[in-house]
Amino acid sequence: MNKGNRGMYRKLAMQNIKNHHRTYVPYILTCICTTAMFYIMNFLNASKGVGKLPHGADVQMILVMGTWVIAIFSVIFLFYTNGFLMKKRKKEIGLYNILGMEKKHIARVLFWEICVVAAVSLVLGIFLGIVGSKLMFMILLKLIHMPVPLGFEVSVDVIGNTVLLFCIIYLMSYLNNLRQIHLAKPVDLLSGEHVGEREPKSNWLLALMGLLCLGGGYYIAISTESVLTALTYFFPAVILVMIGTYCLFTAISIVVLKLLRKNKKFYYKTRHFVSVSGLIYRMKQNAVGLANICILSTGVLLMISTTVSLYVGRESVLEGRYPREIQMQVEEQELSDLETISETLLQEYELKAEDELRFHFTNEIMLREEDGFVSQPEGGYTSEMTDKVVGVAYIPLDEYNLYSGREVTLKENQVLLFVNTKKEYNKDEIRIKDKTLQVKEELEEIFIDVKSYLPTTTTYYLVVDSLDTARKMVEGAKYGSPVCSFFMYNLEGDESRFIDFTDELMERMRDKYQDEVYWMVEGRSANRDTFQRIDGGFLFLGVFLGCLFLMGTTLIIYYKQVSEGYEDHYRFQIMRKVGMSKKEVKSSIRSQILMVFFLPLVMAMIHIAMAFPLISRLMALMYLTNVPLFAVCTVATAGVFAMVYGVIFLFTARTYDKIVNV
Amino acid sequence: MLLEVNNLKKIYTTRFGGNQVQALTNVTFDVEEGEYVAIMGESGSGKTTLLNILAALDKPTGGDVLLEGKSIVHLGEKEISAFRRKNLGFVFQDFNLLDTFSVKDNILLPLVLAGEEYTTMRGKLHPVAQQLGISDILEKFPYEISGGQKQRTAVARALITNPRLILADEPTGALDSKAASQLLKLFRQINEAGQTVLMVTHSTMAASHAKRVLFIKDGRVYHQIYRGQMENEEMYHMISDTLTLLATGGDHYE
Ligand SMILES: Nc1ncnc2c1ncn2[C@@H]1O[C@H](COP(=O)(O)OP(=O)(O)OP(=O)(O)O)[C@@H](O)[C@H]1O
Ligand SMILES: [Mg+2]
Repeated sequence: MNKGNRGMYRKLAMQNIKNHHRTYVPYILTCICTTAMFYIMNFLNASKGVGKLPHGADVQMILVMGTWVIAIFSVIFLFYTNGFLMKKRKKEIGLYNILGMEKKHIARVLFWEICVVAAVSLVLGIFLGIVGSKLMFMILLKLIHMPVPLGFEVSVDVIGNTVLLFCIIYLMSYLNNLRQIHLAKPVDLLSGEHVGEREPKSNWLLALMGLLCLGGGYYIAISTESVLTALTYFFPAVILVMIGTYCLFTAISIVVLKLLRKNKKFYYKTRHFVSVSGLIYRMKQNAVGLANICILSTGVLLMISTTVSLYVGRESVLEGRYPREIQMQVEEQELSDLETISETLLQEYELKAEDELRFHFTNEIMLREEDGFVSQPEGGYTSEMTDKVVGVAYIPLDEYNLYSGREVTLKENQVLLFVNTKKEYNKDEIRIKDKTLQVKEELEEIFIDVKSYLPTTTTYYLVVDSLDTARKMVEGAKYGSPVCSFFMYNLEGDESRFIDFTDELMERMRDKYQDEVYWMVEGRSANRDTFQRIDGGFLFLGVFLGCLFLMGTTLIIYYKQVSEGYEDHYRFQIMRKVGMSKKEVKSSIRSQILMVFFLPLVMAMIHIAMAFPLISRLMALMYLTNVPLFAVCTVATAGVFAMVYGVIFLFTARTYDKIVNV
Repeated sequence: MLLEVNNLKKIYTTRFGGNQVQALTNVTFDVEEGEYVAIMGESGSGKTTLLNILAALDKPTGGDVLLEGKSIVHLGEKEISAFRRKNLGFVFQDFNLLDTFSVKDNILLPLVLAGEEYTTMRGKLHPVAQQLGISDILEKFPYEISGGQKQRTAVARALITNPRLILADEPTGALDSKAASQLLKLFRQINEAGQTVLMVTHSTMAASHAKRVLFIKDGRVYHQIYRGQMENEEMYHMISDTLTLLATGGDHYE
């Protein structure tokens, strides 16, 4: 091949990209954005600047996940988009072939095209990534409450990773294009765009399966009570709903529409006639794309609403986890020891203790069987136990009376019962191992929400007549704790000294107990930073990935609009000739398009609503028990998302209108 | 008089840089009830343009079109579609069937748009389908049937509203000779049954079926031939002679 010819292919490639600017410009923009986003995320998780921060390593752990998600998303999404572009161009390529261009030469043109795309998107993407990484770094630091350092970092390693990843993607795309060209005969190529214009078949089996999957997924999400069960069934539920979503868009929609068409009275009405038949085709062509949009949207909503809630609610999370500023705990030792240590230190730091709580507490992990509670068998937890695992905690009566201000008396075999889930026990007796105890009263509340120690399980709190009884109840249990003494209080005074106070308190405890007994000191202020880091890191990740997915959604919507536009243009002409007014045609097409594009959004909202009970239970694992706050954040996220979605729709609809020329 | 076309003029202004194309200079002719008129002319002589204006799909730059004495040029957008639905039937070269509809639904489309009841529609469908020999394929989709069948479906769609006038643009253009002559026979039948037909065509063969042929050149009606008592063959020769004359730029004669 001589030089002139090679130039020709390059020119042809450039010309092609120019001719297809309507589809190629968004594609290249997406390539640039994914490149930049990958660079930024990879930069942040590898940056020494972040690593050197206190707790920076934790944040980077979170961001590594983000890098992987972006990498996987880029591969799938860019590959898919390229395939879509190729399909649209089969006709043109068939024409080249018929006009005498060998496949070999077409391959060369395509090669140059991919090269142009790769070069432009890598150069601009990395440039944008480098600029953006500084900005994102600052935002991340703001979110995790860290001072912003000066300076500017560029990482050669990260550039290398980025170039490698995206070159592999482009190479894969190119090979896929070649495969398509080599497989096809020119005649097939020519009709490429019209393959699959067949009337879709009703697939009852798939529709039924979809309904079952959706129903099953929703049922799990709504009915799950315990956090452990929620955790076990979360992924199965997600998978079920995903399968259900695909079935919904591919099969259920067609079945429903065809049923509508069978109903002659309904179908042969001006308004329904065009929409129903149009929708059958649109659904067929777009089903997978729409299901993708729905799932991506659900993902965006979930990620953003949970991370925003955690971030906004971090103070209440902290309070849930640490009911008092300071909590001290020691096994089988006098409570007064804790008080002595605290008092001397409080004086040194000129602080005052308030809202003090002193109590003893012991508990055991048990299984709740039909006829009572039994110890968890040796060998630990297995998945069959999920529904049965509960905590049983014992609190002595005198401490209950002290904090509740009541004067209850109990016999040795009598208890007061409090269950930390809403379900009431409603029985007079409770059998624990081989003992049967009388439930004298079921309590509405208990003086300390010891939930923070056992956040994940349903816990039965038993107030027993004495500490000795409590001790006997857990004696010899493999999954039981010895009696612990607790001392908790809030601090009053100079807040800036709280953290030092906590650290010093820890030192004193270490001096006293060494490693001989189990003890613990926790401070809310001392842990605030950790929570801030983690919640901030998650928020950053959530919003960042949310934006990425949103971009994917936008591109899919845009391409759908463009390709629909070309087809509708033709349909529009015919309808006008048969006697539909411009306005009628326009409104009919509009309403179809609206249905098609807002169905995924509506479905995503339904998914979120159904997932809400399950997710709010999982949030309890992160100590976010403030369900109203989570609800508000979810609704707000959904609202903002719907607005953004609407704007994207309107924006892409303009291109559509131009093509249809309404 | 069913249709009167008076001094019709159409100038296209291209979007960029005011380049003007005069598609119709001055077209005047009449069509009477029950006539079968063919319009011929070279490529680019303005036939499609004329048809589009008659169908009120496009507005003329000057002149007037009267259907039963009423001007259709100044109708509003809403009236135009109702007018088209009630009075006109279309048959096109590339069939213009909607691939989202079955054959039956394609035929019923204008009736549905007019808001008719399903039972009335069904009553109208069967005679038309019978006449056009497509009763067996009503449930099929456009991609499943042949070109000839597609065109007959399109004719059925045009006929089902009982229009005052059928407009056809190159109806035989995409058909092989057998399907084409079948279609022309059909047109003749429906014309003999009283239907007015106006057909644009390149094909001398197609035009020779008409009762009258109009020739358009340079945006004007250049010449016309009446069939009178002529047989198809005689008509055919006369048309091809006229076309030769037209192409060599011979003088205008009547
Ligand atoms: N939308 C348009 N804008 C500008 N010029 C147009 C437009 N439509 C047609 N023309 C021009 O008007 C003239 C007449 O076109 P028209 O389509 O009516 O020809 P025709 O007789 O139907 O030709 P053919 O037999 O090839 O179909 C041509 O010169 C054409 O280029
Ligand atoms: Mg034409």
